[in-house]
This record gives sequence, structure tokens and C-alpha cells, in this order.
Amino acid sequence: MSIRLQLLIVALTTLVLPWAGCQYARELETALRSSQEQSLLASAGTIANALSAQPQRVFHDAGDTEGFSAAAGDLYVYPLVAQPLLDGYREDWDVPAEPTSLPTQSGYRARVQAGSSERFLYLFIEVDDTHFVAQPHNVQPDKDRFDRVNLTLEGPNGTAAYFFGTDAPGLIAAQAVAKGDDGTERVVSEPRIQAFWLQTAAGYRLEARIPLSFVGRHLWVEAVDGRGKGRAGFGTADSKGGRLFFATAGLDTLLQSFIGDSTRATVIDANALKLGTAGSIFSKKRYEAEESEPIWYRYLMGVDTSDMPTLVSAPDRLSGDSVDSALKGHPHAQWVLTGRLREMLLTAAAPIVIDGQLHGAVVLEQAADQLLALRDRALSRLFNLTLIATAAAVVIMFAFATWISVRIGRLRDAADSAVGSDGRIQLTMPESASADEIGSLSRGFERLLGRLNEHTQYLRTLGGKLSHELRTPLTIVRSSLDNLESEGLRDDQRLYITRAREGTQRLQSILSALGAAARVEESIKQSERVNFDLRELLISAVAAYRDGFASSQFILEVPPDPCFARGAPDLMVQLLDKLIENAVDFCPPGGRITVRLERVEANYSLQVVNDGPLIPQALMDRLFESLFEQRDGGDDKPHFGLGLYIVRLVAEFHGGTAVAANREDGGGVVFTITLQLI
Amino acid sequence: MIPGMKKQIAVVEDEPALRENYAAALARHGYSIKTYGNRRTAMQAFTTRLPDLAIIDISLEDEAEGGFDLCRDLRALSAELPIIFLTARDSELDAVSGLRLGADDFLTKDVSLPHLAARVAALFRRIDALRRPDNAAEIIRRGALSIDGEKMQTTWNGSPVTLSLTEFWIVHALARNPGHVKNRQQLMDAANVVLDDNTITSHIKRMRRKFQQVDPAFDAIQTVYGMGYRWVEEPA
Repeated sequence: MSIRLQLLIVALTTLVLPWAGCQYARELETALRSSQEQSLLASAGTIANALSAQPQRVFHDAGDTEGFSAAAGDLYVYPLVAQPLLDGYREDWDVPAEPTSLPTQSGYRARVQAGSSERFLYLFIEVDDTHFVAQPHNVQPDKDRFDRVNLTLEGPNGTAAYFFGTDAPGLIAAQAVAKGDDGTERVVSEPRIQAFWLQTAAGYRLEARIPLSFVGRHLWVEAVDGRGKGRAGFGTADSKGGRLFFATAGLDTLLQSFIGDSTRATVIDANALKLGTAGSIFSKKRYEAEESEPIWYRYLMGVDTSDMPTLVSAPDRLSGDSVDSALKGHPHAQWVLTGRLREMLLTAAAPIVIDGQLHGAVVLEQAADQLLALRDRALSRLFNLTLIATAAAVVIMFAFATWISVRIGRLRDAADSAVGSDGRIQLTMPESASADEIGSLSRGFERLLGRLNEHTQYLRTLGGKLSHELRTPLTIVRSSLDNLESEGLRDDQRLYITRAREGTQRLQSILSALGAAARVEESIKQSERVNFDLRELLISAVAAYRDGFASSQFILEVPPDPCFARGAPDLMVQLLDKLIENAVDFCPPGGRITVRLERVEANYSLQVVNDGPLIPQALMDRLFESLFEQRDGGDDKPHFGLGLYIVRLVAEFHGGTAVAANREDGGGVVFTITLQLI
Repeated sequence: MIPGMKKQIAVVEDEPALRENYAAALARHGYSIKTYGNRRTAMQAFTTRLPDLAIIDISLEDEAEGGFDLCRDLRALSAELPIIFLTARDSELDAVSGLRLGADDFLTKDVSLPHLAARVAALFRRIDALRRPDNAAEIIRRGALSIDGEKMQTTWNGSPVTLSLTEFWIVHALARNPGHVKNRQQLMDAANVVLDDNTITSHIKRMRRKFQQVDPAFDAIQTVYGMGYRWVEEPA
């Protein structure tokens, strides 16, 4: 794995920054949430206290402690925002609740819902009675049978009984039985109580409007079938009447003064029925924000909401743990989920206690979206910043890694080529001026190369030194042999002398070969450059080789005209000698050795091509090094790997190069000497 | 020099074994030998009495070039005294330096004792011949070249060319059969020396230069690349 990749992976660990940011954001959110709980709970408590100081503005009847009972006919009066039209449709009430069923024994089903505006009580009664029985003319309510709805109101002056009936659906007024001055009972209409009778496929609906001044604490509603098949609701005879639970007028306004944006305050009575509500949970801003802001990372790091209860909202009452707890007298705050989107909602409820008695509770609801917005802002900033930081870190790391690997690569290339194909050692390395570890590595290389160079120099001169140092003792041996021989010897002794002499001869030739490179270097120093005809030299030399090496077949290819070169012809002959010796050594008996001279561009190309084994690629670069020898010792001649070294020295003296290669046909090798034209 | 008296040879060589071997070999040939281990003792003796011939090693004990100094001092004492350098060194520079200092011959220690003796005898012969009247029988003439085998003297167009003994033998070998190529080994045999190819090359080069000093147009010694050298007779 390259350093670049390694560092890139290391750089990726900076991704821990966004992760840490997420953790932080999560903690932040938890803290924020807890503080929101505290503050909302405190607000609820404050509002509860404030309200308990003015119970008359909160509760209608602070003394009534009996619980709400729909079975007893109790009705919650929904506060209506706008005056509904009397048209038999309750859509304009804008109450999301269904009417409540009236009790019945006969299967006659009717439902009722109550609402109030500032001045009127509205009743909506829905009766499942497909058979319409019209009210007869000159009705006698006690005797006549027709579809009717009895409404009894407990007014300021005792109860007042009214009934609704009609011979034709439409706008009607309530009717009441009044005692005339003459003591007879007659039906009079009460035009202040208006209603709309709407016939539907399933029955009829009655939307009635009653001035609040007619309305007391209790009321009875009863639907009676005109065919006598049954009735539903509460009669004055068998029931003490349903109570009306009004929202407190003006409480909304009062509450509004307590709360801020995106908070909803609701006051409930001990039955958890809403007395007043103000504010809205969701600010408009939220919707704008929701559409524009990416919220994907909420999924990544959002708070776990799976254990939060879902808030079931009813239009008339509140429920939930916090409400239950507050109605038991304990302030409580709780996170719940609400709505289709399952958004988080904080509810806080505080009990309203008046004179030590629990009357109701203040419930504050606040969306978490403020919190979310805060978190989102923090998160998106955090995310952006850390992503930028990570990206920057990765880019910087990558650039740095590239730089490092370029430097190391440069060093590696230099190290690879430090020992050139000519065996010469490049002593300076790149990066050695750098103060860091790469610089120190480079300097280490330089020291190593320096030592290697010294060693190579030593090896290179070793041959010459050895040959020089050994010459004197060898001379002693040989001169002693000479003297011994001159003293006169017996024949058997002469044999040994001869052997000893042969030994010294061999030693002598070894020493001579050892010193050859040094002598060539020496003579190169002293050589004079003259112009000579390379072609003629080759013709003459190859003629000599033909005589000298009969085992090989020599082929000479030269241009037809003289090829003048400048240099030392003697050295050139030595170069040729070495190349030919080498070629002959490797050429199988009868093989061909081609000596070829060509003009190639501005140079002469002198090639010696021989049949024979190929040079292993690994050795190719080292062939021309001093003391490099790689051959099986098949003959008696000493080889010290100086021949090709001499070739190189001579080629360089002539401003040329020496290159070895395997023949393309794979049948042998080519040594090419490039020389300058003059 | 008194005729009949043994010729005295001084061997200045710091290697005792070698010194004694040379002394023994030369003594066998009837010379009187004095051996010296260093320049100081040799010079002391030479100021008292000059030998008839001096064989000097170039490096003497701690003096790397003591032999050259000794040669110079000796030449100052006598212009005619034959001096042979004998050395383990074989670099051309040494040979050139030695010969320039006035040595008559320059032999490497590879030379065998019989060869050394022959070389010494030849030098004495040359000196003796110089003192005797001319003997035309030994003279080889090849165009402008004339070689006196007796006196070991060479002239070109009548002007003497001062050759060392080795060079003399080489020219002699080449000129005896003009046009014949002599390879290096043959030339070495002719000169009774063991030299490597490079040294032969440098000898040839030096000889050409010496002839060219007399006649700049000299081109009689021709290189036959890969084979050797031959003497080319001028078409004159």
C-alpha cells in the first residue's frame, strides 16, 4: 500500500470530527430539551398560579366539583371561532369532533353537539329517522305525534321547555307551550331560538341557535319519533339534566397574554375539558424552514423517539401522562409525538389549585421545532465546518503524501541508478539538504555510496596494487630458480625446477592480467589523439584475428570508404582485442563472429556480434564494471573481469559508449561501441 | 679500465634476496659485484670509486624514487657510466623518466637472470665497440637507416639516433627484414625482455619520436593493427 493511500486512510480518520460533532449535538439537544422542559414547566406553573389568583376568569362555577359525564347528558360546549350559518351543516363550526350519541332504549339513534359563540349557544342534533312525520297544523304537542326535538333549558327563571318540529324543513323557530291569559295552553313560537331543519337521506339534522341569556347550567335534549317508534336523549322527567361545560369566555385572551410564539396554552378543568386555549404550536416559520432545510442528518443522529408516547388529541379534552399527573396535583412535563409526521412535542402541565382544592390545570405544549431549528442550525454549521475541515485535511494530507512519495520516489530512483551501468557511483543524492528524515535517509545513502565508492575504488586498484606488490617476491623466486639452474642440476632436479618455473610463469601472467586495467588507465592518461582510419584498422585487425582464432569464423562488414576517427588507434586495437577475446570465449566452435562498422547519424557504430549463449538480463548492466566476472572457468586463462572494463575505458576515451545486448534473433550477443565521427 | 681486470658492477637493490640473486648470477658471468641496499651507502661508495656498470632499483627502502635521484647523481659523476634501471614498476612514466635521466636501459624485474646477464654483456660490448675502430661487417643499411650491430649505434641519414638498448634491439629486429610484420612477442624476444603489450607500444612510440627528432618526415615503423609492426623501406 503506497504511503499516499496510507495517509489518505489516516486522513479519513478526521471523519471522527463530524461524528464527535454529532455526539456533541445530541448532548446539546438533550440538554436543550431538558432545559426546555424545565422552562416550560416553570411557565406552566407560573400561569397556573396567576390563574388560580383569579378563578372567576377561569371557571364558571368554581364550586362544581362533580365530574363530567356524557352518560348523564353533560355536553362540552365547543368554542366556535365564527358565527356558523344556520343551514343544517356543521362544517362551518370547524369542530373536528363528531357529535355524541344520545342514550336510547329503543334503538332510535340521535346525536348532539354543542358549540358557543360570544352570544349564542348552538346545538346540532342529528337524528337517524328516515321517515319524516310533519308537525300538524294547530299542533297539540301533548297529543300529536310528529318528529320533534324537545329542548328544555334551565334558565334564570326556572326551566323552560321548547320543542322543534316542522311541517316543512327549513328555517324554523322553537316552539313552546304557553299558558294563555285565558288559562288555555297554546303553542307559541319563540323566534329568538332559531333553528334549521334539514332533511337528509339518513334522517334529519337540526342546527339550533339559542341566545346565551336563555341558557342556564342544565339542559335536556330529546329526539322523539313521530311514528312513536322510540326516542333518544333525556327527558325532564327521568333526568336531572345534562350540564353544559363552557369554555371560559375571555380566557383565551387572558392566556394569550401569558405565552409566546409556538406555544399553545390550554386550561383544562378537573375533567380535562378545555376551558380555554391560546397560541399555536407550529409557527409559520417552521413550515418555511422545513421545506428548505435538509433534514437528512436528523436520521443520522436524531434523538431516539421510539419510546415516546403518541399524543392522542381530542378537540374537547386533553389527555396524556402530564395531564393526568397535573390533575392529580403534580406538575409534569413529557415529550410526546404528534401528528402524521410524528413530530416531537413537549407538554407541560401544572395544576391550578384554589384554596387547596384542585380545579384544573394549565397545559403548555411546545413543539420541539424551535429546538430542532437550533440543533439543525448548529448541526449544519458543525457539519459543514467539519466536512470542510475533513476535506481540507484530506486534501492537505493527500498533497503532503504526494509530496513525500515524490521525494521518496526521487530518492528511490536515485538509489536505483546510483550505481550506473558503467559501474560508476553517483555520490550525490537528491533531498540530502532536507532537514527531515528523508533528508537524513538521503545522507545515509550518500555515506553508504561514499563507502561503496571507496570500496569499489579499492577493488579497482587492488589488481594493480597486488600485481605490483607480488612482483618482487615472484622475482625473488624466479631469480633464485635461475641461479639454481645455473649451478648445474641433475635431471631429476631439473624436472622440479621446470615445474616451479611453470608455476611462476602462471603467476606472472595472473599478475599481468591483474594489472592490465591499471596499465590501460595509465596509458589512456598518456595517450595522444591522432586521426586514424578505423576501417583500415578493422581490416588489418580482423585479418590478424582470423589467423589467431581459427576456431571461429570472422565476418567483417565495413563501409567502402575510409572512416576517420580521432583517438588512439593502439587503444582501439586493445578494445577490439578484448571484445574479440570475449566473443571467442563464448562463441561455439565454428560459430560466427561479425565485426561491423556503420555510420549511424553523427556516430560510428562498431559492433562485435557473436553466436553463443545470451547474457542474463540481470547482468547486462554490470558487464562493463571492473572486476565483474560471470563465466564458467573453462580454460586456464585467468579472468578478472577487466576485459570489458577496459573496453568501456577505451570507448569513453574516444567520447563513446559501450553497450551490450542480446541479439534479437536470440542466437547470441551484440556489443556495440559508439564513437564520434570527425 | 685495465684490460683483463674483472668489470665491476654495482647492484643497488633494497630487497636483500633479490640483490644477492642478481649478484650471484652476475658473479657467475665473471663480473665483480658490489651490492648496496640504499642510495646513501651506494653514493658513498660511488664517490670513492665508480663501478663499470650500475644496476639500480627505482624505489630504495623508504625513498620511492631514490633510484632516479641516484641515477641523476651518478650521471653527474660520470657521463659515460652505463646505467640499467631494474624495477618492479612497469609504468611507462617510470620508463620515460628513467631513460630521460640518462639510463641506458630500463628492465622490469620480470627479466630473467640470463637475460639480465646478456643485457649487461651487450652494454659492455657497446662501450667496448665504441672504443674500437669501425667494423663495417656488422652494419645493416636500409635506406636512410644504418645500424651498427657491434657498437649498437643507429643513424638516420647519417645523424645518430640515441636509442636505449631495448629500443636498439627492436629497431634491429624490424629493420633486418623490412616489410615483415613482427609481432610483439617477437620484438620482446629480440630485445631479450619480458614486456607487456603496452610497454612495447610505448617503446615503439618513443622510437618513432626519436627518429622524428632527426627527420620529422620519418614514417618507417608502421603499425599493423592486431598483428604488430613492420619496417617500411622508403621508396627512395
